[in-house]
Amino acid sequence: MMPLPGVLGALLPYNTLVVACGVAAVGCAAGVVGTLGVLRRRALVADAAAHATLVGVALALLVTGQRSLAVLLAGGLGSAILALGLLVLIRAVTRTRDDAATAIVLSVSFGLGIVLISGMVARGVPGSGGLERFLLGHAAALTAADAMLLGTVSVLVILAVAIGLKEATMVAFDPAFAAAAGWPAAMIDLVLVALVAVMVVVGLPAAGAVLVTALVVIPPVVARQWTDRLVPMLVLAGGVGLASGVIGVAVSSASPRLPTGPVVVLVAAGCFAVSLVVAPRRGLLARWRAGHRRGRTDYLLMTEDHR
Amino acid sequence: MMATWVSATPWEWLAAIGPMHGWAVATAAVVSACCAMVGTVLVVRRLSLLGDAISHAVLPGIVVAVLLGGRPGDLGVLVGATAAALLTVALTEFFHKQAGLPEDAGVGVAFTTLFALGVLLVTVSGSRIDLDPGCILYGILELVPFDTVEVAGWEMPRAFVSAVVVFLVVGSGLWLTWRWQVFTAFDTEAARAAGVPTVAVTVGLLAGVSLATVAGFEAVGAILVVAMLVVPAAAAELLVKRLHHCLLLAVGLAVMGAAAGYLLAWKLNTSAAGMMAVVLGGEYLLAVLVAPQQGVLARGMSSVLYAWRVQCEDRLAAAWRAEEAGQSAPLPASLVAAAAWWWLRVQGRVEPAQSGARLTSQGRRDAELIVRSHRLWEAWLGRHAELPVDHLHPPAEWIEHHLGTRLRQRIEADLGRDVRDPHGSTIPPERG
Repeated sequence: MMPLPGVLGALLPYNTLVVACGVAAVGCAAGVVGTLGVLRRRALVADAAAHATLVGVALALLVTGQRSLAVLLAGGLGSAILALGLLVLIRAVTRTRDDAATAIVLSVSFGLGIVLISGMVARGVPGSGGLERFLLGHAAALTAADAMLLGTVSVLVILAVAIGLKEATMVAFDPAFAAAAGWPAAMIDLVLVALVAVMVVVGLPAAGAVLVTALVVIPPVVARQWTDRLVPMLVLAGGVGLASGVIGVAVSSASPRLPTGPVVVLVAAGCFAVSLVVAPRRGLLARWRAGHRRGRTDYLLMTEDHR
Repeated sequence: MMATWVSATPWEWLAAIGPMHGWAVATAAVVSACCAMVGTVLVVRRLSLLGDAISHAVLPGIVVAVLLGGRPGDLGVLVGATAAALLTVALTEFFHKQAGLPEDAGVGVAFTTLFALGVLLVTVSGSRIDLDPGCILYGILELVPFDTVEVAGWEMPRAFVSAVVVFLVVGSGLWLTWRWQVFTAFDTEAARAAGVPTVAVTVGLLAGVSLATVAGFEAVGAILVVAMLVVPAAAAELLVKRLHHCLLLAVGLAVMGAAAGYLLAWKLNTSAAGMMAVVLGGEYLLAVLVAPQQGVLARGMSSVLYAWRVQCEDRLAAAWRAEEAGQSAPLPASLVAAAAWWWLRVQGRVEPAQSGARLTSQGRRDAELIVRSHRLWEAWLGRHAELPVDHLHPPAEWIEHHLGTRLRQRIEADLGRDVRDPHGSTIPPERG
């Protein structure tokens, strides 16, 4: 990390540098955690959690009256975890299918968030004016303290993944075997989901509730194109997240009109498009050259075959 | 203020909300009816998340169409958005089939990218188009009545007219292809084998979803369209079994949710679209609670009733055993047992006597059947299951509440007459 601010410092003004550091740290951690999430097929669960954060953000402001980023994000984390609990509950109690349950939690909690925010704006609750920024993100408004907070949480999350890597690998690839081998698989799974929720919340200022899923999903998918091994995939996903963060912030700082969140997402999507075509073995060119254009490689050989 | 609001009749309500709100409610109702119709098929086919993806991804289509000179609500915008939606579906399919991505990740990549592109286009083109990010996410239903067109001499909101057109197109499309839709939804392989053009049916459905989404987009925004597509359909699915009943109920729930949500939002001075989603969520919660058979209340009720029956029967059997041993009936040991005892007295199965209580002739007959079931089962298990004698009681204690006359007769026939249970007690005879 050290040389990065040095190099960029020459290119970017101080404010942009602060934002770039924060967003890069978040992008990196989101890529790492997202790798495990995507391998566990939790991509759209992350989406549901992301949309639910609005309720908590609004309630945190309403209850505490404080506008500090830490308080708002803590509220968002609370409601994201509540939404994930609700998802589990719907699965257990009703016969609604998983996909419909995800869509229900996602849209209804988002609706509630919108109701709270616009109700607060209409009543002139102090500080409620800027809450809409959490919809699409507003990285440009990050202060140095905010960036510090996001960076710290991101580093802690990456450390957590590094410490529990063996357990996480086990559960990510074969939860049934992990459980049979005596691992607390359900517990590890829960921690993984909680980490995904944390990253979704921390990503809010960068990309907003609607697009933060992209930070968790796209970098791992890019990394998957290039490698079959977990550790390189984690590193690569983290790198892609970090690079999209830095490039996205740098590009969007070029014009005041360019929104940071969508630009970061589009940079990551650009990486995906390139990887989709040119990646060795998995890329479209390689497949086309290998002559089995219709051949379908299972994304997760392990989990596909052992389920 | 609350009091007048509650006491008003529906007509006073309508008069109070005025034509502007009336148009907004009508638009919301037609839009949500469209979404609920296609949503029903979508939910049954497990494509709910594709609905989510489509509703985000229509944005760049709308923006490009607007940049090319279309106006929100125009045919050109509808076409552009539908094209973008079909592009999303194609991309998702491509990522899944050709690039080997898991389906959820493919959906996640496709719709976030397209949505980001849409937001970028909106903000970059700035004042050249009148769409703002807020409108994209949660619509501007409140402004719908102010953008009007004239149809056959009547001035109507543009969004309402296009919603009605979409409703007619989507509704008649579903009507004409309904049998195919149902066949494909429940067994795609069989439908294909039977000559149903399943690909065309699916593409048609997705085109319908796109149309409904675009119609809803302007009124309620991208994400709340998902609520209209999925939530009423999922609620209706819990309540009824046949798919066409499900569709009609979903449309009803959606229209109710739209109207109630709008009026609530107006009363509470907040976002109409958000409130509609919340009301729909409330309807779903209600469906989860009150659904017949599968509902939380129904299941809770039936297990409570079952526990109560077991408790009453246990009291009755205990009294019978006490009588058999020449003792008076044991006193109820818990509050529930006391309540069960009271209920047995109300029913006339036990009656007060000088020392506590005793069974009436009706109560004795019922108790005999329970004890008979219990001891027959113990005897049968003792003979066939090679269980130690002290392990026979628990299963018999459970099954005594479930054996019927015919099963008892068959067990007795298997055991032979004049048999005793493994503890040496006589088995009471069956008395009608």
